[in-house]
Amino acid sequence: MAIADRVFSGDTLRVGYRFQRHWDNSMAYAFYCCEVGAGLFFVSLLLDNLAGMVLGLLLVSTGKPYFHLTHMGVPMKSWRAMLRPDRSWISRGLLGLMGMVGFGVLALLVMVFGEGNSPTELWGLKLLAGGCALVCATYQGFAMSHSSAIAIWNSAIMPLSSLLYALSSGLALAMLLLPADTAAGLAPILLLLLLGLALVQLMFLHAGWHGGPGARTSIELLLQTFYARWYLGVTVTAGIALPALLTWAAPTSILAQLLSGIGVLAGFFAWRLLIFKIGVYEPIMTMNPFAPGR
Amino acid sequence: MARMGMVFDLKTCIGCNACVVACKQENSLPDGVFFTKTLSEEYGVFPLANRVYIPTICNHCDDAPCEKVCPSGATYTRHDGIVMVDDAKCIGCSSCAVACPYDQRTTMDADNFLKGLFGTGEITPFEKEGYARYTPGTVTKCDFCSQRVDANLDPACVVTCPTNARIFGDLDDPHSAPSKMIRERNGRPPMPEKNTRPKVYYVN
Repeated sequence: MAIADRVFSGDTLRVGYRFQRHWDNSMAYAFYCCEVGAGLFFVSLLLDNLAGMVLGLLLVSTGKPYFHLTHMGVPMKSWRAMLRPDRSWISRGLLGLMGMVGFGVLALLVMVFGEGNSPTELWGLKLLAGGCALVCATYQGFAMSHSSAIAIWNSAIMPLSSLLYALSSGLALAMLLLPADTAAGLAPILLLLLLGLALVQLMFLHAGWHGGPGARTSIELLLQTFYARWYLGVTVTAGIALPALLTWAAPTSILAQLLSGIGVLAGFFAWRLLIFKIGVYEPIMTMNPFAPGR
Repeated sequence: MARMGMVFDLKTCIGCNACVVACKQENSLPDGVFFTKTLSEEYGVFPLANRVYIPTICNHCDDAPCEKVCPSGATYTRHDGIVMVDDAKCIGCSSCAVACPYDQRTTMDADNFLKGLFGTGEITPFEKEGYARYTPGTVTKCDFCSQRVDANLDPACVVTCPTNARIFGDLDDPHSAPSKMIRERNGRPPMPEKNTRPKVYYVN
């Protein structure tokens, strides 16, 4: 069945597919800020790059909360989101975010001002901040994968893609902040991450196409509608293929690194928006006992 | 312990939407917000074309995905199995709405309360009284008219249905009307593949 044959009920009272509309663009921007920021912070922490750490912390501590609060119905009660870490990935992520910002700022302070401090303290702080950054980089993928309602999200690929996109966009951004020779040495790692992303995209398309009707519909939306030009043009070509080609062909070129960085960030941005746009609820078709073939 | 649930008889539902109007009236729902909807689906080709009406409502799942993802503890299950939302705790993050496979949750935007029933911005005294129970920005859904259930009454949609297409009762009681109907007419829950164990069933 092609996408043109599927029934989308929208706001009508017909049985059909309905688009996910509860999480809007502001949620996508918040997810993006968190994953890019956490990835940049994590990579910069490993490379002792203060500028990257500061920028990563700023993205996570300002961009993400701002966009979440614009989405939230009752922002004044947002603190309540941390109350159920036993069952909700949102609560776990919020605690991870607070840990990343708290330990990250402490690690930064020790790195800048703590000349006399023992390296054990700094390593302890770095370990805690890095662990929390990894939670921030992945928890949104887990939150999405736990939604059985949106079939295309209900997959282990979501947290994996979150992690890989966070690390690759963080590394691409960090390479722009580092001296050229250090950045050139990181090119093989970026290439490896981009190959990983290509593999994840193939897995995503394969799992969706061969998944249930909801997942299949989402993939059809991605490949057969208006969204195809954004997915194939920005996410795949500009976000993965072009940066991989540039990184492989000219690892020492600053211009290539700049274009790669812009491409990876733009590709990830398009992916974050698209994954929200193509989410659909399946029609409640199995309850119609009269329809033929059911 | 009771386990309140509902059965929809698709053979008797005529799609009159009286249940929808009763629900909106009982719960003072603003324009554009529904706790129950009657969907329709056409099938076959002329002269064998037909239409079936499919009432939908929160399924008050035993394994409610909305409750599991709620980060603030606002969604909870009552002792009688009715899944509730405490709007004093709800932060309006919509994660429950994204987790519900039946798309039965609605965010009460502040705009909902400004338009008025007639879209003129004028709020009637009835609306003013009814809207006081909601907190703008929070997420709401059907609660089986819990205020009526507490008073040993059936939900408004059930008492209003002119064809008895909605049957409400305790699913744990083998002698209750819904239990008998599910047993005798092979009742089926909606989308069982989602493993949410709904307390709403459909019979034909």
